[in-house]
Amino acid sequence: MTSKILARAVFAALVIAAPAFAADFQASLGPMPLDDETKAVIAGRGEATAASDGKTLTVKGAFHGLPSNATEAHIFLSTVAGMPGKQILDLEVTKATSGTIAGNVKLTSAQATALRTGKLYIQINSEKAPDFYPWGPKGTLWGWLFPAHETVGQDVPQQDHWFIPQIDTPSR
Amino acid sequence: MHKKKFLLALAAAMAAAALSGVSFGQAAAGPFTQRQLEAGRQAYGDDCAQCHNPDLSGSNDAPQLAGDAFMGAWKSRTTQALYNKISKTMPSGQGGSLDDATYTAITAYILHANGASAGSAAFTADTAAGIGAIASGKVPDDVLHPPTMSAFARATAGERVATPGSFMLPGKFGLIFEGHIQNYEPVTEAMMNNPPDGDWLMFRRNYQGWSFSPLKQINTANVGSLQLKWMWSLPENGTMEITPLVHSGVLFIWGTGNTIQALDAKSGELLWENRLGPAPRRPGPGPSTEETRSMGLWGNNIYVNTPFGMVYALDARSGKEVWKTSIVDNKPGIGWSTGGVIIIKGHVLVGMTNCGRPKTDDHCYISAYDAASGKRDWKFVTTALTGQPGGDSWGDLPDNMRKGGETWIAGTYDPELNTTYWGTAQAKPWRRDLRGSSSGATDYANSTIALDPETGKMKWWFQHAPGESLDLDEVFERVLIDHGEQKTLMTIGKAGILWKLDRVTGKFIDARETVFQNVWDGIDLKTGTPRYRKDIVDQKVEQWLSSCPGPEGGHDWQATSYHQPTDTLIIPLSQSCVFMLGNGSQTYFEMPGSEGNMGRLSAYRTADLKPLWSFQQRAPFLTSVVSTAGNVAFVGDFDRVFRAVDVTSGKTLWKTRLGTTVQGFPISFSVDGKQYIAVTTALGGGSPEMKPGTMLTEVHRPPNGYNLFVFGLPDD
Repeated sequence: MTSKILARAVFAALVIAAPAFAADFQASLGPMPLDDETKAVIAGRGEATAASDGKTLTVKGAFHGLPSNATEAHIFLSTVAGMPGKQILDLEVTKATSGTIAGNVKLTSAQATALRTGKLYIQINSEKAPDFYPWGPKGTLWGWLFPAHETVGQDVPQQDHWFIPQIDTPSR
Repeated sequence: MHKKKFLLALAAAMAAAALSGVSFGQAAAGPFTQRQLEAGRQAYGDDCAQCHNPDLSGSNDAPQLAGDAFMGAWKSRTTQALYNKISKTMPSGQGGSLDDATYTAITAYILHANGASAGSAAFTADTAAGIGAIASGKVPDDVLHPPTMSAFARATAGERVATPGSFMLPGKFGLIFEGHIQNYEPVTEAMMNNPPDGDWLMFRRNYQGWSFSPLKQINTANVGSLQLKWMWSLPENGTMEITPLVHSGVLFIWGTGNTIQALDAKSGELLWENRLGPAPRRPGPGPSTEETRSMGLWGNNIYVNTPFGMVYALDARSGKEVWKTSIVDNKPGIGWSTGGVIIIKGHVLVGMTNCGRPKTDDHCYISAYDAASGKRDWKFVTTALTGQPGGDSWGDLPDNMRKGGETWIAGTYDPELNTTYWGTAQAKPWRRDLRGSSSGATDYANSTIALDPETGKMKWWFQHAPGESLDLDEVFERVLIDHGEQKTLMTIGKAGILWKLDRVTGKFIDARETVFQNVWDGIDLKTGTPRYRKDIVDQKVEQWLSSCPGPEGGHDWQATSYHQPTDTLIIPLSQSCVFMLGNGSQTYFEMPGSEGNMGRLSAYRTADLKPLWSFQQRAPFLTSVVSTAGNVAFVGDFDRVFRAVDVTSGKTLWKTRLGTTVQGFPISFSVDGKQYIAVTTALGGGSPEMKPGTMLTEVHRPPNGYNLFVFGLPDD
């Protein structure tokens, strides 16, 4: 088994293992804003799930394919999904190009509301793509925590209604 | 630029400098030399002006490179960052394809264009001066008024210009192969109102813009056995998103360089060819300003709108020119045209793009020409001027600063109401902080406009995105659908909102969000008026903004298909966002909730806008959809896949992989009782290709492969 295949197998096992707790939220981690200059250092994918009782938040996830080693992972608060926000909570992260993220953090009431309304996101930074370039905020991977929803594979049609964040996430 | 070319440019620069008294040895504070500046001027004309304009004013996807907009994005960054940006990303889609000397020279010229002074030190890839410290943003006269007519400028003035030595560009123009098509049946008004089943006479096949073929020989049961019947290689380079037309067994197609060809629709045999020119400006994929999307048939003629603002009538039987006219009265710089034509009652209607220079009396307009003579019948300016209805929506802006409202997609038509419907793009500049229109709605930009096709008189307009500020056009196809007595118009813009209007009155009926969007906090479902996010309303020049969808558009030129038997609108959608510091610095990211799938094909029932099915994939779709009475819909994508899906379930029934991106407007037609599906592959494609192309790092495509493919069922 090559190292690439092994990494994928580990990743798949982690993702499969993640829903062992009752996940209320899920996030797909993809590259942060990039252009032709920066796409060589901003890349990779990940998945995360999260559960919350309204006071604490438990996050589990995995990532792979970073161009350089991960350095830190956090939860950020944004005013609306798709917009960079401010760092509010820390997560543990494997300091490698693939690995896991995890955390069990306390939430304030405002943060719990933000979680419920789709305004919290997970961000992973890496050695070559820190969270701040000389201009503009950047990082490596990010993904918003949305209510758990059904997903289907590539090319597989989903009938009737399908998940659209602003419609299927509570607004208040 | 090749070394020889660069040395020639240097020699020319030295000669010019000697004449002007400039000494190359003199000391100065600037981070580049006069020689680099002049070489950069030449290289800019060769490799950049095609998209960014000769005066660096920018167009469509290509940002302004001189003046306030450029300085807003770059003054806090370094010359090295600018060099890196240019050398890694330019020319568009071909980053790194020029040599270092050319990139440093182009960077020097752009700095000069923003008021930086030439000095004694040569600019290198490592030069890292603060742009705000060396450039004032004041654009010098020699940039605003280039001293010589470049080949590009001559091409925009209507000259048939070829670039010698370029890869696969036609060097000879005119009717190079005259046709003698017999038994060609003239196209009549009755045919236009009710197209023959086997024909494709206009852009979206019928006046209502359905892109629906009543043919049903190819159906859900047998589409899996579809096979290639013939293919035809088209001119390379530039951009192509064309709709082939079919009538009397002849398939007409536009190729880059405005090459018009007639082919035997059954066999693929060439019947005539007329190269109208000019050739694409440079080898490789080109900008979206170099194409046309639709042609028109009427009587014995085919009508072609070329991007530099020409309309040609050619004899459909021979390819001979019948007449030609300039929609911009042969004045360079007024505007271009890429949407193509719609022909209504003997009038050839055509829109404009990249039109209306600031501080001039020029504006974008829709105009109509007599199909027999080419004489202009009327024109309608698509921005509301002082004293006109909606004229107060531009605040205090004088008329010569009210720009935009481009019409780069051809309109549709309701014969019963004798009304033609057009979408318009944003006001320009598209950022409200640069535009100076404050919170004004800027009518008739980003609207649906209803016109009398015989007079150009406006009947009503409905504005979808008042005061738009994020390059989110609402210009795309207007689809006319009746529900009993209710006559509706449906459209969807870059924001991904599916709109339903009463096409008699222009009143808002309903709207649905089809993808994630964060630019509007909400839409008033009584009036259809959206409410922008606060930071967009308060936008400032140096402020980073997030836009979901981004300029790729939740929906773009890849048009919908209305499958009339099931009342289903099938919509190609895209899922990417942008985080931008003005147009000069755009960074892209996957749409939240999309799981990295940039392509989405969705179906809605139009009676109540109920979502029916949807599927997602990594690659965005780069064709419109065509559906048929066989309950099959066809669509192609960025990653070369052309597929057929069941219109009732979205399930893929057949797919094949072609040479490069499947791009354009596929059609269905029949000859001698056999049904065919035709589709093109091509590159270019504007924002729907450029923006996701940056993110789709795993997709590799050849830089060529402009072809027409025709598929059919196996012979008995």
